[in-house]
Amino acid sequence: MKKILPISNAIIAVISGVLVLLGYFFPGVFGNIQSILIGWAIILAAFALLLGIFNLALVHWKKAGSDGPNRIYSIVLLISLFFTIIVVSISGPSGSASLWIFNSFQVPVEISLLAVLAVVLVFAGARLLSRRPKWYTVLFLITVLIVLLGSVPLFFLGEVAPLIVVRNWLAQVPAVAGARGLLLGVALGTVATGLRILMGMDRPYGG
Amino acid sequence: MTDIICPLCGKPNPPDLDECKYCQAPLKTAGFFALSDQEGEESSFLPPSGESGAVGDQSVQAESASPFEEGVPDWLKQTEADFLEGTEAKPEQGTPDELSMQIESLLNQPSVPEDTGKPVIDDDWLASLLAEAGGGSSAAVIPPEEPLEGLAEDDVAGKTQPFVEERTKVEGLLPPDQEEKPDWLTGLEAASTIKLAGGMSPSEPIDKSSSIGEPEVAKGPSQADLPEWVGQVESEENPPGTNESETPIAPAELPSWLEALRPEDTVSPTRPVEDLSAADVVTVGPLVGLRGVISAHPSAIRARKPPTYSIKLRVTDEQRARVEMMEALLADEQKPKPLPSQPIFNSRNIFRLVIAAVLIIPIAWMIVTGSQKTSTPQPGSIPGVVDFTQQVQALPAGTPVLLAFDYEAGFSGEMNLAISALINQLMIKNSYLTLVTTTPAGPALAESIIKTSTGLDGLPTAYSNYTNLGYIPGGTMGLLGLATSPKAVLPFSLDQVDVWAIPPLNTVSTINDFSAVVVMTNDPDIARSWIEQVGPVLRVDGTPLLMITSSQAEPLIRPYVEAIPSQVQGLVTGLAGGLAYGRSVGIMQQDGVWDAFSISMTTSALIIIVGSIIGVVRNMPTSDKKKEG
Repeated sequence: MKKILPISNAIIAVISGVLVLLGYFFPGVFGNIQSILIGWAIILAAFALLLGIFNLALVHWKKAGSDGPNRIYSIVLLISLFFTIIVVSISGPSGSASLWIFNSFQVPVEISLLAVLAVVLVFAGARLLSRRPKWYTVLFLITVLIVLLGSVPLFFLGEVAPLIVVRNWLAQVPAVAGARGLLLGVALGTVATGLRILMGMDRPYGG
Repeated sequence: MTDIICPLCGKPNPPDLDECKYCQAPLKTAGFFALSDQEGEESSFLPPSGESGAVGDQSVQAESASPFEEGVPDWLKQTEADFLEGTEAKPEQGTPDELSMQIESLLNQPSVPEDTGKPVIDDDWLASLLAEAGGGSSAAVIPPEEPLEGLAEDDVAGKTQPFVEERTKVEGLLPPDQEEKPDWLTGLEAASTIKLAGGMSPSEPIDKSSSIGEPEVAKGPSQADLPEWVGQVESEENPPGTNESETPIAPAELPSWLEALRPEDTVSPTRPVEDLSAADVVTVGPLVGLRGVISAHPSAIRARKPPTYSIKLRVTDEQRARVEMMEALLADEQKPKPLPSQPIFNSRNIFRLVIAAVLIIPIAWMIVTGSQKTSTPQPGSIPGVVDFTQQVQALPAGTPVLLAFDYEAGFSGEMNLAISALINQLMIKNSYLTLVTTTPAGPALAESIIKTSTGLDGLPTAYSNYTNLGYIPGGTMGLLGLATSPKAVLPFSLDQVDVWAIPPLNTVSTINDFSAVVVMTNDPDIARSWIEQVGPVLRVDGTPLLMITSSQAEPLIRPYVEAIPSQVQGLVTGLAGGLAYGRSVGIMQQDGVWDAFSISMTTSALIIIVGSIIGVVRNMPTSDKKKEG
């Protein structure tokens, strides 16, 4: 049984991958099979989300029961989780009580985090040259200043056309080139990983 | 010419060599000289002919020097000569009594001491041979006439008859248990017969290995050299009382080179045997009765419970004190050391507070006062906004539009301006809004945006021509499933209504049945997934794919907009794009936000510049000290 299961898992995985791949090339023949398999994968992903929420609650339940110094955070998380579940279960996902929780807690918290992030980034930029006085630090700071000042019209000065041109060039050429290079590397790695899984050389499902 | 026979390999060597040319064994010390066929010289091991007495007939030895006899020991040759002399003299002496007396004398001849120089002749083999010829009985029982007559006849007829016939004749007389003779004896009999016949067939097989290389040729054969069966016959012939008078056999003298080769640690044969009389006698098992051996009785290998030893260490007080000290040191290492407490108002925290104040105060001031000093961006100055506006305006009224709320709530301040303007335009067209999302917080965010949207008059509207299908699990796979079969992926709305069975979604089977798809995201990866998974399906029927993104996603999405043919037909990015789009559709709702955004950017740049200058100035003395050092 220990030898049969890994082989059967590999066979199922390879066949499923090949059928989904063929669905892209021959949608008329394999389109329906591809849709069925994708539907199964979506159901499994939804179940994985529920499993993740259950695991999160379980981990923090254990932490709340321990004597650690950070148990208060776990207790707050558990209270928030169960409170939200109860309210949404009663009010419904689009009910007024559910939206009140969302607009009163989640949106302000996330916005505050981004605001704090902005302050921290400005502080780090101001101290960067004193902490690491290198030529690439200077280059980095100059780029940041050009993008900041070229994004919006300056207060009391208005738009500075050269800054806008340089900013657009930086955003469209070096930034996109670097990002595309990363994406190409990721794509090649994904193709290689997909081929290895299709050929049964990599078995992330075990076996 | 005399050759030296190698005692090791038995091959002849020239006399001038000290070592064997074949095996490099020493010849001078242990080798012996072989007689040459032509010269007939005596062997160096043989005594002078005058001293040999009854043996010394030089002519007989010269005749017998055949190639087969080169390896025969001299004592054996001497014995043969004695035998031949006796047999040749028989016809002259005539009487059988004399012959029997001669045989008796040969059989009972006393051994000659070694120091006399005479060759030792042991004729026991002859006696045994005669005994065999007489049917295995003792010489006293057998009449002497029969073997002698036979031998005499052999002497006469042996010159014409081959040896094989003679041997078969003798073998026919032997008992069945004694028919098998050793090879050396067979060769010896053949040699004796050859002497009588005066020659030998070259094809006659003779085992020379039995006689070649005997180191004790001058002393004659000892009891150890004789075969066992010969000794048995001798013991039968000679009662124990008669052999007691014989001198004991002297130990063999080994050549010096053999002594040198002999390992020193070899146990001497004269070493006393270990006394095992006091050893235990095995009483059970396969070795029963043996003394001084290890018994194989199962009790010796019986499994026993291992003895129990105490695991308690014997330590002194000093060692115990050291262990306690080590444990205390390790316990201190495991304890977390508290960080040194820092004052709340240190320079770093003060600097942070200053930066926060410099950023927050101008922003708050601009929003409170509703400042509009900074010019709003024009729609034409931001790529994609004009196209976005045209695509939305081109949508037919009352048609279903798919809206994907795939941004985080934290980016709502940046993106809600454009989203509100879009939803306002769609409400005007009475489009059926179908809300989906790939983020868990998306359904609530979408519902909140729809319910807080306002009309052109700025008053909230109770827009109900929409449905919220909720969350699409599976990420990229979910988007692919939505593109091919949206009804299978999201069969019900959040209100548990089968919206695919009622108008207007009952006409929708694939995603390109929507009049437009608008994706609102702050993540460039999510935007790319929509473009790659849903875009190809939308392009089949020319359904526009529109996007509202944050500023951070703009650089990666913009190439899809500027591509020919474009994969994204309209794009609104960030706060500037939202303002430009609102301006294009006639909605001016900045309320001081744009001025606050502008002054925050300017202030941030100034803080970075000033901070960098201060840092360079503070580092200058340090760098000067390093250079001086």
